[in-house]
Amino acid sequence: MAATAATNPSQLLPLELVDKCIGSRIHIVMKNDKEIVGTLLGFDDFVNMVLEDVTEFEITPEGRRITKLDQILLNGNNITMLIPGGEGPEV
Amino acid sequence: MADKDKKKKESIFDLSKYIDKHIRVKFQGGREASGVLKGFDPLLNLVLDGTIEYMRDPDDQYKLTEDTRQLGLVVCRGTSVVLICPHDGMEAIPNPFIQQQDG
Repeated sequence: MAATAATNPSQLLPLELVDKCIGSRIHIVMKNDKEIVGTLLGFDDFVNMVLEDVTEFEITPEGRRITKLDQILLNGNNITMLIPGGEGPEV
Repeated sequence: MADKDKKKKESIFDLSKYIDKHIRVKFQGGREASGVLKGFDPLLNLVLDGTIEYMRDPDDQYKLTEDTRQLGLVVCRGTSVVLICPHDGMEAIPNPFIQQQDG
């Protein structure tokens, strides 16, 4: 990559951290009030994500929304934060 | 034409001076977070440690202390980041735009 960014080898690259999370639980926070918790199966260059055993949370109405199984493809367009090992909001 | 070929992906800023510093990040959609910058890439994806997330509510306006969550180690999507600044060196001030009613 260009020498301007991340010249420090001991630095942690964001997508490397996501890659390490493959196979474990991850908590995805969207731009709006939605959050997704699931097992990360993989992602692509645009950080679209494939998740399994997924629970979807709506933060404002105060409650868990839908529990989905099998696999989902989450569009990376609206992803704001990714929290490896996260279990989601308490409620 | 040769100029276009030579143009690599150079950043106009250097985040490496913020590594291991406490920074504040604002996102599209109104979320705010602060944490210690552990890593980044040219697309502005960030790794923050000890992250605290602040959320804005309709009746919240700019009150940050209401809804905060400890998130720990997070990755922030560069496509969603709108602002990065040091956590210190920022303070709330009285509204400088309020005018007298005669104005």
